Amino acid sequence: MTRISSDARRKPAGALAVGPRRFGRPKPQRRTSIVAPVSLLTPALLVIVALIVVPILFLVLISFTDYGRRSLFTGTFHVVGLAQYAGVFADPDFWAALGRTVLFTAAMVGGSVVIGMGVAQLLSVLGPVLRYVVTVVLILAWAMPNVASSLVWNWLFQPGYGVANWLLTSTHLFGDMTNTNWGQDPVLAFVAIWMLVVWQAVPFIALTLYAAQTQVPVEYFEAARLDGAGEWLIYWRLTVHFLKPTLLLMAILSVIWDFNVFNQIWLVSQGGPNNATSTLGVWTYKTAFVGFHLGEGAAIAVVTTLLLLAMTAFYIRNLVRSGEEL
Amino acid sequence: MTLLTELTRAPSAVGRTEQAPSRRRRRRKGRRVANVVAVVFAVVWVFPVYWMLNTALKPRSEVMTTTPLFVPLHLTWSNFVSAVTQTNFLLDLRNSAIVVVGAMVASIVLGVFAAAALTRFRFRGRRAILVSILGVQMLPGTALLIPTFLVFNHLNLLGSYLGLILAYVAAVLPFSIWVMRGFFVSIPVEIEEAAMIDGASSWRILRSVLFPLVMPGVVSTSVFAFIAAWNDYLTAYTFMKDQTMYTLPVWLASFSTPQTGTDFGGQMAASVVFSLPVVVFFLLIQRKLVSGMSAGAVKG
Repeated sequence: MTRISSDARRKPAGALAVGPRRFGRPKPQRRTSIVAPVSLLTPALLVIVALIVVPILFLVLISFTDYGRRSLFTGTFHVVGLAQYAGVFADPDFWAALGRTVLFTAAMVGGSVVIGMGVAQLLSVLGPVLRYVVTVVLILAWAMPNVASSLVWNWLFQPGYGVANWLLTSTHLFGDMTNTNWGQDPVLAFVAIWMLVVWQAVPFIALTLYAAQTQVPVEYFEAARLDGAGEWLIYWRLTVHFLKPTLLLMAILSVIWDFNVFNQIWLVSQGGPNNATSTLGVWTYKTAFVGFHLGEGAAIAVVTTLLLLAMTAFYIRNLVRSGEEL
Repeated sequence: MTLLTELTRAPSAVGRTEQAPSRRRRRRKGRRVANVVAVVFAVVWVFPVYWMLNTALKPRSEVMTTTPLFVPLHLTWSNFVSAVTQTNFLLDLRNSAIVVVGAMVASIVLGVFAAAALTRFRFRGRRAILVSILGVQMLPGTALLIPTFLVFNHLNLLGSYLGLILAYVAAVLPFSIWVMRGFFVSIPVEIEEAAMIDGASSWRILRSVLFPLVMPGVVSTSVFAFIAAWNDYLTAYTFMKDQTMYTLPVWLASFSTPQTGTDFGGQMAASVVFSLPVVVFFLLIQRKLVSGMSAGAVKG
């Protein structure tokens, strides 16, 4: 942070005309006044402040009120202090949703990172034709809008005629699953949503890791092979070592994305059965926009945001630090 | 390269020469295993997309069969025809087009100007602004939805194009600034300096030198904005309660044709129609997606 403030002392060169020596080192950066950057930046900043900063402050504000369905029409509500937060923390549903969210996120992040690593390694050993095929397949899965992929999932796992049910039944491993209703079974609903999210998350991770993998100097692998290291050892000791920074970024981005998964859950199971797949996001939405307890919903949203910030504190610290090189 | 490694290895491993061929064979076997794994993976991963197309192209009688048909026996476009003509498709396509274009244009114009200011000029607070633009991306979608909903409710913006456009600009703008910034940074300062020596003012430099050079950036940022706005379900579903104002994702999620309950053939055809523009864009800008998303996009 100190570096930022010291940099701020670098005045735009336009200020030179007014008092050249007063600010120490004159930096001939750009011969214009501050007018140009300010007028270029102001519209965007105004929009960001009006549409993001103010709403976030407003969110915190209404989390201290009893804003509800009636307030939407009358505009009247009362300040209740921390009552909404106390209510949320006393609610067993909150803790259940929190536990589910952490479990979902861990399972999804773990699954997509592990499979993504495998696919990236696969891409790096394949010949050009198969590599092209796998890349196109990955992009197809990645590109599908998640509303469309959720509908496809409902059809794949449809009780009675779903092809996944038919395939599973024909393996004879799980008995007759023809009429299994995935969306109505707590565990199976989770399994189906997990597969959907991982299916769409793997391509980005795999392609990014593969791109990073191609940057590793070949000499290292040659040296390792000369020393007689096996392929597994080379992968764990060399490749993974070089991929560490990228892997970390992928893991953090996946945590943020998977923590916030909404559409897939909403469209596959609506958070049911009996809230069994209702994560914090789904629970917030239900509280705020189905029950219209907006004050309570706001309190949950604030808690969720803080949790996410705490979980990604490491990433945020790096972000702030990277500000020094921008 | 494998051969070279083996050759250079040979002298030092005199006592173990008989091991070399087995090692080579093992690696060739590894390649064959990799190919098999790749084929299996590709088949599994493409299957949902294939099944969507397969279902969409089947006549109604072949969609619901006790033993699924893995290829359509009679190819037909009737599902596409009914999905497009028997629903509000055209109306909702128009709604989507208005909102998506509005959000795209607004975020590009604002984003290009802001990125120019943040890269080509030095001023107080520049870095703080850049970092907060990245940080803003982390906020969960549902967190912004509640206050935006309330404010728009009071301003009578719910259910209007403008309200949805503003919500999308809020979602896309920070990211467009960030992506555009990358394109501005990659332009060498010398080009600007040359223009300055020729006596161009800074406005003139922006308009005649920098903006033409960042056009590729404008294109890929527009595609990002398009995809984000085109795909959004949650905001449109919450804001647009009037059926005639639905955008395509809401249309798709509530898809049903009048005659039957759930018409899976029609639903899959509708999914194909809705996904097609996005898939085409993805294939076009695939490389930039990888670098762009990890560069600072945190929204899914």
